[in-house]
Amino acid sequence: MSEIAIRTAGLSKSYGDKKALVGLDLEVRAGEIFGLLGHNGAGKTTTVNLLTTLLPPTGGQMVIGGHDGTANPDAVRRIIGYLPENVQFYDNLTTLENLRYFGRLSGLRRPDARIDQVLEYLDFTGHENERLGTFSKGMRQRVGIAQAILHEPAVLFLDEPTSGLDPQGVRKLREIIVGLNRDLGMTIFMNTHLLSEVTKTCTSIGVLTAGELRYHDSLAATLDAFPDESSLEDIYLHLDSPRVA
Amino acid sequence: MTDTLVVARKELLDLRRDRFMALLLGFILVATTLSVIVGAAQFRIKLDEYDQYVAALKASGSAVSAAAPQLFPLQLLRGSIEYIELIGGLFAIVVGYGMVAKEKQRATIELLFSRPVRRYSVAGGKVLALAITWLVAVAVVFTVITGVLLIVGRAPLQPVDIGRLLIAAAVAWAYLLLWSSLAMALASSTKHLSTGLIAVLVLWLVVVLIIPQIGDTMDPDNQVPGGLFKSLQVAKPDEHAVLAHFAGYDTVRNGLEVSSVTKHFERLSFAFLGIKDVFNQLPIAAVARQTLAYSLSLVLASAAAVGLALLTTTRKTLLRRNS
Ligand SMILES: Nc1ncnc2c1ncn2[C@@H]1O[C@H](COP(=O)(O)OP(=O)(O)OP(=O)(O)O)[C@@H](O)[C@H]1O
Ligand SMILES: [Mg+2]
Repeated sequence: MSEIAIRTAGLSKSYGDKKALVGLDLEVRAGEIFGLLGHNGAGKTTTVNLLTTLLPPTGGQMVIGGHDGTANPDAVRRIIGYLPENVQFYDNLTTLENLRYFGRLSGLRRPDARIDQVLEYLDFTGHENERLGTFSKGMRQRVGIAQAILHEPAVLFLDEPTSGLDPQGVRKLREIIVGLNRDLGMTIFMNTHLLSEVTKTCTSIGVLTAGELRYHDSLAATLDAFPDESSLEDIYLHLDSPRVA
Repeated sequence: MTDTLVVARKELLDLRRDRFMALLLGFILVATTLSVIVGAAQFRIKLDEYDQYVAALKASGSAVSAAAPQLFPLQLLRGSIEYIELIGGLFAIVVGYGMVAKEKQRATIELLFSRPVRRYSVAGGKVLALAITWLVAVAVVFTVITGVLLIVGRAPLQPVDIGRLLIAAAVAWAYLLLWSSLAMALASSTKHLSTGLIAVLVLWLVVVLIIPQIGDTMDPDNQVPGGLFKSLQVAKPDEHAVLAHFAGYDTVRNGLEVSSVTKHFERLSFAFLGIKDVFNQLPIAAVARQTLAYSLSLVLASAAAVGLALLTTTRKTLLRRNS
């Protein structure tokens, strides 16, 4: 039994009358790559924003890496990395300057050596002194990952990390995600509405429909549990169909 | 290095690379400098005329000595102060607003707040960056102005004049920081960025343009170029006698004018630089004593604006959606 990286109990978020997330009970073990699937507006970004302490929950508890997210959010922030959907940087600043900024805010006193190391690892050297304003989506995404892993977080949150990338970019990013998990032992929580993402990278999946977690199991178990469905896509579509009350 | 310094450093780097900001600061510098250059050239002509007159007197063997003209070179700064008062205030708003707007509009704020930054680090870093920006801007403007006075005007500046200039620079710094901080606070505390911008611009219109303008327009002496009383050949003592009948009116007019902190900035600057004649023969200490109320008001207003910016620029306000 390995330790739990993320645990939530009854975690909820409403925007006024709109219930974006309803009583989420979730456990993600350390070392897993968890993929949260869901249609547009299912509540994936809301979930990640709660877990990264960017949003205060309307109800429920969450514990990330042993730290209570509502009582001690700074402790959580210290051990997580986050790549938002459509990550943006300070366009007037170079790669190095942007990364130094976020590295220092993450508590690195002398971030330069670590930045070199990370850029090398991500195969993104040679752009250190270029300003972000000139970067393509794929390049920005790479700097986004660099920013998220600079301080060697225990848990990494990625919101739709492959959206907007070309096929080569998608493949490269997939390799990076798997590599971070394998080489550095990072627990990874990623949102996606692409099934292919999940089958190629994740070890366990959850399906969110209209703010409710409708399914959660390991990828292997999922494939076993639906033997008569022809493909995983059918499973996803089946689970993801609007709830019949 | 603390987070506040990290944030301030980043903001300064960002501002320095921002073409639009460079354009704004360049414009203030050019406008204030040009107004002094024009004045300084005229100043020099007057000075030359006097020198020629004295030389001519000497050549004719006359023993009569001509009285030196009463010239106060710092009075040439009137236009510059007015530029800082109007356009400077407006630009300060743009810079302060931009500090928050550019971050709110973009997802950078999410990266920033997913980091363990302390409660006042982001706000403090931004205010510190504003304070340094205006310190540098004011230092450059006043250095250039002084240079123009010395070189173009060949003005004989005394050490006391440098003191006056330093005080005026400090006053301008506090005034610009006031508007920047206020704009920052409003950009942070309003749900929609545009609401914040409109609010601070309306405030600028009322405080900088409308109230002082009403006060000015209500002053009968301002209705005739060169002054109503002067053109009527009314001597100063008589002027006071006439005005005594309108004491109530003038109290209202003055009250209106001094309800604007911009007017306090103007009166302070004009007093210390001797632009207002009654002050240009007084020692600095006496000027400071007579204008103490205005100094206090400007310092308090600036401190309040900075405090407001620090209190309103929080994780909660900046992360609020639909900005
Ligand atoms: N600030 C907000 N105010 C009001 N409603 C919101 C807000 N943010 C999100 N919502 C609503 O909450 C629900 C969940 O949104 P969320 O962004 O979490 O979905 P998502 O699964 O990430 O969708 P997508 O795949 O489109 O990114 C949606 O119905 C959305 O309209
Ligand atoms: Mg989303």
